[in-house]
Order: sequence, then structure tokens, then C-alpha cells
Amino acid sequence: MTELLSVKGLTRHFGGIAAVVNLQFRVKEREIFGIIGPNGAGKTTAFSMIAGSLLPTAGSIRFRGREIAGWPSQRVVHLGICRTHQVPRPFTGMTVYENVEVGMRFGGRRTPPRGEVADEIERILEFTGLSGWGASSAGSLPTGNRKRLELARALATDPVVLLCDEICGGLNPTETADILSLLRRLRDSGITILYIEHDMRAVMRTCDRIMVLNYGQKLAEGTPEEIQDDEGVIEAYLGRRSWMGRAEQLEEPP
Amino acid sequence: MSAAPASRATSRTAYAVAALALLAFLAVPWVGISNNAIRLLLTTFLWVTTSLAWNLLGGVTGQVSFGFAVFYGLGAYTAGLSINGGITPYAAIPAGGAVAAFGSLLIGLPTFRLRGPYFAIATIGVNEAVRIVMSNLDITGGASGVRLLQAGRFSQAEHYYAALGVASLAFLVSWRVMHSPFGLALRAIREDQDAAADVGVHPFRLKLAVHALAACLTGVAGGVFAHYTAYIHPDGVFSFSTSTSILLMPVIGGLGTLSGPVIGAAVYSIVQEEMVVHFPQFHLLLYGALLILIMLFEPGGLAGLWRRLARRLRGGGP
Amino acid sequence: MGLDDLLNLFVAAILLAGIYTAMSIGMTVIYGVMKMVNLAHAGFMMLGAYFALEMSQRLPIDPLITSVLAAPVFFLLGIATHRGMVRFVPVADEPTLPSLLLLFGLWLVLQNFGYAVWGADDRSIFTPLTMATFRFGGIVVPVIRLIVFGIALLSLVALHLSLQHTWFGRSVRALTQNREAGQLAGIDTGRTAMLAFGLGIAFTGLAGALLANLYSFTPDFGGSFMLRSFVITVLGGLESFSGVAIGAVIVALIETFSILVVPANYQHAISFILLVVVLLVLPGGIEGLLQRWRRLR
Ligand SMILES: Nc1ncnc2c1ncn2[C@@H]1O[C@H](COP(=O)(O)OP(=O)(O)O)[C@@H](O)[C@H]1O
Ligand SMILES: [Mg+2]
Repeated sequence: MTELLSVKGLTRHFGGIAAVVNLQFRVKEREIFGIIGPNGAGKTTAFSMIAGSLLPTAGSIRFRGREIAGWPSQRVVHLGICRTHQVPRPFTGMTVYENVEVGMRFGGRRTPPRGEVADEIERILEFTGLSGWGASSAGSLPTGNRKRLELARALATDPVVLLCDEICGGLNPTETADILSLLRRLRDSGITILYIEHDMRAVMRTCDRIMVLNYGQKLAEGTPEEIQDDEGVIEAYLGRRSWMGRAEQLEEPP
Repeated sequence: MSAAPASRATSRTAYAVAALALLAFLAVPWVGISNNAIRLLLTTFLWVTTSLAWNLLGGVTGQVSFGFAVFYGLGAYTAGLSINGGITPYAAIPAGGAVAAFGSLLIGLPTFRLRGPYFAIATIGVNEAVRIVMSNLDITGGASGVRLLQAGRFSQAEHYYAALGVASLAFLVSWRVMHSPFGLALRAIREDQDAAADVGVHPFRLKLAVHALAACLTGVAGGVFAHYTAYIHPDGVFSFSTSTSILLMPVIGGLGTLSGPVIGAAVYSIVQEEMVVHFPQFHLLLYGALLILIMLFEPGGLAGLWRRLARRLRGGGP
Repeated sequence: MGLDDLLNLFVAAILLAGIYTAMSIGMTVIYGVMKMVNLAHAGFMMLGAYFALEMSQRLPIDPLITSVLAAPVFFLLGIATHRGMVRFVPVADEPTLPSLLLLFGLWLVLQNFGYAVWGADDRSIFTPLTMATFRFGGIVVPVIRLIVFGIALLSLVALHLSLQHTWFGRSVRALTQNREAGQLAGIDTGRTAMLAFGLGIAFTGLAGALLANLYSFTPDFGGSFMLRSFVITVLGGLESFSGVAIGAVIVALIETFSILVVPANYQHAISFILLVVVLLVLPGGIEGLLQRWRRLR
């Protein structure tokens, strides 16, 4: 597998706070790359910089060898990197269908021929489990469907790399399992996924490789098994029983 | 999409209504209506134009501007001075639109770096600065204004048709924009500019584009106005109160819709006609009060109120 | 142009800065607590001016003293405005368009109410002090400007004390710094917002009344002062009370000294151009600029 995205020395300060510090990692094509860490570890901030929503204070982001750090989001999207938002941000005054249509028409990579836009949108709605909701106002969606809409809208831009920010946060186990199987299918269809998650079980089951962030810095990186056994990770979270507690339930059958 | 057939039916009704209205307005000069009524209709058409234009930026895209008098004034002056220079109105008035659109780029390039409310406040500064500069230039005739030399060439009916044509153009353009991917992106920008950029929309570029389009329509309306009144001065066309009027009509009529700005402009023109004679200041008092009420109780404006009433009368829910 | 002239201009600018501070504080308090840009600022300043006029015609007391009465009266007016309409528009972390348009509507109403009651004529207030001057070496200071400066300063001291030593002051400061944290800490946001709006309008009305002693006015009065207030507020960093004073000094200096370089006809354009330039170049105010400098080093 070839390297798709490589991040080096990525740093971001907010006033006096260093949210992300000298971050370095590489993502290969067609993998699900998990990013975990406690609240405030800098995961969302790292995503925002990759997606172009936030200017890095320093560092380099290369996509297929091309330097994209500091590019505005629309340009990054047109290259094929698209993000979802941790707190969903649907266009509330528009229908679900129209939300997805924005992504499809302005993703800038492949707008289907005139007659096929509606079919394509319908296909994406169905894939994300939103078929039947097309005509509803996006503002009226319940949380679970808002998360699905985030995914649908991002998929409509035809991404090469999809950045999913806690896309299962606040969902029940069935919904979570649903979304996770979607992510795996997307990976199998050739999309590379960066996946921020709080729920350790979900991450361990789904990701090919995992990076652990803490206080803006990389603590560990490896396969789920390696991460589970990593002394540094366990040590760092010794005081966080509940967090590891969830990790220990891994062996439980779903 | 399941909603499609219903919306197609309503849009067919809308076409029919629009076509009938256009025919009726075309016939007006032939059926012996008083000159005064024609003048009122003509003014209404000009306000309908500015109102629809402002709505593209303020209503559809969500960027409130207090500075549209700049474009109205640029259009009026470009057309007026060109006509005085011997150019036919058929070229002079569109030239007004072009100059206004160019002006909108100069204003938009810096100010669209600002977010919604800050953009709005910056446009107050832009409008006043432009007015003061224009009042001091020789070419605009300074504070004493400019008289158009060959204004007699159009009959009143011709002026009327010019205004009707411009309003129809604005309506058509608005309709096209609202039913196009361009309009879809503009609405996305209104809802959440950053989220729109995160799926590939270029907010800055599209805002510049719709600003230019709106400025062009406003400038053309200004040009028709200049040719009609045959006298323009900076404290009139460039004034902050002109900007205020242009903003009030679509907001009160109903933002982001096609009918709202038209209703707002019609109501405004009639109210102004009735009140300006007797109580020169009261129409703005009334409009200010309406603006307050609408912001508090009915953000959809008069059009929204109308829809709500119609629904209640039909016996539906709230 | 001699040294004396420059010194005179400088003193004039400082005196102007005093009243500018009082005028802008009203906008800053409201922005800080409610994140609303008060577009009705101009309307309340205009009312303040006519309040001073009415008082000077009715009471046999010096109009400068009766101007001070504007503060309590406009405090109540502000509270009534908040109860009656402002509290109904949603508050966010950023100014919203509905609040902006609501307050703009209120400005229109106040302005045209002014036309209806007082007509469009230019008004001004004359007192025995209007022409008096005070000499200090080569520096000539109009007495009335000195007094206005003094009143403005006193009102600011009073504000400072009340913000430092009352529960209301603590609530205002807490909400200004961090709305969410303030709410979590159990601050009564509704009540604080109401009092803050009252306080903001009190300063606005007072500033209008004081300015009426210096300039002539019509119901259009206040528009350019409102934009100046906005420039000053932005320069001060939008929600910093001491920043306002610095912003006011800067704006007053620029306006006063611009007489030397800008033709008289364009004088009026300065505050508007300043507004656009400040918004574009210094959105973080002076503080933001200093931070940028510090980071560059
Ligand atoms: N816009 C912002 N302004 C100031 N601080 C921020 C901002 N966004 C994030 N932070 C801070 O940066 C740190 C990392 O936040 P974030 O990336 O959201 O963490 P995570 O997604 O891992 O929970 C936190 O301390 C947070 O408070
Ligand atoms: Mg996060």
C-alpha cells in the first residue's frame, strides 16, 4: 500500500494553549486510521488543520506528495479530502436532499451528468440510511440522523480521504454498529478513512491502525493490539479508570 | 424526491400568475389610467428591482448590506452623465449597471473578509464615505446635483416600460438564481459559511458574484430612475436613507423568497405615496416599527404572515 | 504652525477623548454582556440631546447640570427597552442579524419620533458658558469642554467602582469574559443583561446630552457618533473597558489632527473610512495588534 497523507511537525496554538504539538503521522491508502485520546487532546484541532478549516501555526501536511498546509477548505475538498463535524452542522434551513446536493455539486471532483444527480443523491441517502428523509428539513432531524447527514454530505463530494470526527458520539449501540459497518464498506470501496473516536470498543474493532493523542502530542501509534498492550498508553491513563474500563470490555462479544 | 410533484404544480400556478401580471402591466398605458397612477407603478417597479436585487445578497445569501445606495447612485450617475454626453439611454442605462457591478467588486473584495454582522456595519461606513466623496466631486455636480439634458426624449409610457422591463429582468434573474446550483450554494453560505466551505463551496467568490449581480440590477434601476426624474444629486441617490429603504422593503416583505421583496416594494411604494405628502417622516417611523415587529414575531415578513394566515383560514394546523 | 497650536490640538483631542469614552462605553457594556451591536445607539444619543434641550428650557438650572439627569432617566428607558423587545431576540456568542435589524428598526423609530416631536430644524443649547474660555499659557480651552470632560470622567469613575464592588459588576465582568462559564457559575443572565442594557443606554443618553452642549443637532444626530463608538469599541478589543479609553484617545487624536492634512469637505468622511479600515486591518483591536507584534519577535 502506498502512502497517501503525511503530516509532519503539525502545531497549533490558541493564545497561550498549545492544542496540537509537533504532530507527525502517515496514512496509507485504503486504511481506517483511528485517532483516540481524551477530551481536549487536540484531535478535532488536527482534523480542522488537515481539512483546511483552521490555519496551522506550523508544520507540513502532504497529500499525495503535495503540500496542502494552509490551503482553504474548499480547495482541500476539491483535492479529495473532506471532513465531518463532531457537532453536526447541517444547513438547517434546507432539506436533507439539498444538503447532500451542495456537496455533490460543489465538491468539485465529479459532478454527475445532469439527469443523474438526483439518482446519485438518492443512492447516497440510501447508503447512509437516510432514504425517505430527503424532503425533510435538515433542522428537524434527530441526532442520529444528523450524524448520518454529516456523512452523506461529505460522501457526496466524492472524497479520497474521509475525516470522521466522533461520528458515533451520542448514538446507541445499534446505530453505532450500523455506522461502523458503513465505514468498513467505504474502506473496501477504496476510500481512506481517518476516524476520531471516543468509544474504545468501536475503535479497536474497526481501525487498521491507531494513533493515541494526549495533550496535543502523539503518545503511541500501531495496530489495535499494539495499542492495547502499550505500556505508555496504559500508564498515561492509569488515573482514567473509566476510559480504560471501556477498553477492557473489548473481548466481550458485541 | 417526494416533494417534487407538489412543487412543480405550485410553480406552474406561479408561472401563470406571473404571465398574467406581466400582460396586465403591459396593457396599463393603453387603458387610460391617470398619469399619477402610472408614475406610482413606475416607482414601484424600480423598488421591486432594488428589493429583489438586495434580497439576493441579504435574503438568499444572508449578507445584510446597508450600502446599496452606492450602486443605485453609481447607476444613476453613470446613466445620467452618459446621456448628457450624448449616448443613447439604451446604452447608458446598462452602462450604469456595469459600473455598479464594478464598484461592488471594489467594495466586496475587502469587506467580504468580514463575517455577517461586521460586514453589515462596514457597509454603513462605506455608504457614508462614498456619499461624502460624491458630494464633493465636480463630475457629480457636487451638492447641487446634475440635470439631465435630453430627458424629454422618452415619453412617460416609454419610461414606464423601461421600469417594467427592469423589474421583470430582476424577477427572472432572481428566479433563475434561486432554482440553480448557484442559489443552492448561496443558501448554504447563509446557513453556515464554514460548513459550506467544508464541502467545497467557495464562499468568498460566490459572495462577490452575487454582490455584483445584485449591484448590477440596482445600478440599472438607478439608471432608469435618473433618466426618468432628469435630476439627480448625491444626497439623494447616494444617501443612507436610500440604502435604508432598499433594505427595508425585502426584509419587511419576506427574506429569501421571490414574492416577499415584491410585496415589500409594493407596500412601501403605496405607503410612501400616501404618507409622504401628509407626514413626510412617518413612513420611516411606520417601517421601523414594522421591522421591530417582524424581527420579534414573524421573521418570514409579510409573505410569511400571509402564508400563516392562509394556512389557518384553510383550516389546517397552526 | 507653532508649538502652541500643536499643543492646543493635543489638549482638544484629550478633552474630546473623554466624552468619546463615555459615549462608547455604552456600546461596549452591551456588546460585552449580550454580544449585540447596538444600532439604536444613535437614536438614544439623539434623545439624550433633546432631553438636555428640553431640560434647559424648563429648568432654570445650568443645562450642564441637568444633562447629568439623563443618566438615571435613560437607565430606566434602557431597562424598559430590554423588557419590551430586546430580551426576545436570541443571544449568541456573536452578534446576530436579527438583533442587528431589530435595533436598527428601533433607531428608525426613535429618529422619526424625533422628527415628529421636534421637527427638522437645527437646535443648539446656549449657556453663559458657551463662549467662555480658559487660558493657560498659550493653551486656550473652552470652559464648557473642560466641564463636559470632567462629567464624563466622573461617570467613568462611578462605572469603574460599581463594576469592581457590586454583584452586578462581577456578573457583567464574568459574562463579558466567558458567557458560558458565567452561566454555569449560576449568574442570572437575564437580570444582568437587563441591567447592562440599562447601564449602556444610560451612558449613551448621558453622552448625547453632554454633546448637545457642544454641537448643534437635529433628529439625525448621532449617526456618525455611533460609528465612531463602534470604531472605538473595535479598537479597544470589543469588550475591554480600559481598551475603550485607549481607542477613544486614538480616534480623537486622528480626528483632531486630521484637520492639518485632510480638506475640510472630507472631514466628515474620516470616521466612516476609519470604521472600514479598523474593521479590516485591526479586527482584534489594539490588543490583537500587540499580540501579533509579540509573536513576530
Ligand atoms: N477555537 C478554539 N479557541 C480556543 N481554544 C480552542 C479552540 N478549539 C480548541 N481549543 C482548545 O484546544 C484544545 C484541543 O481541543 P480539541 O481539538 O477540540 O480536542 P479534542 O477534539 O481532542 O477533544 C482544547 O484545550 C480546547 O479547549
Ligand atoms: Mg473533538
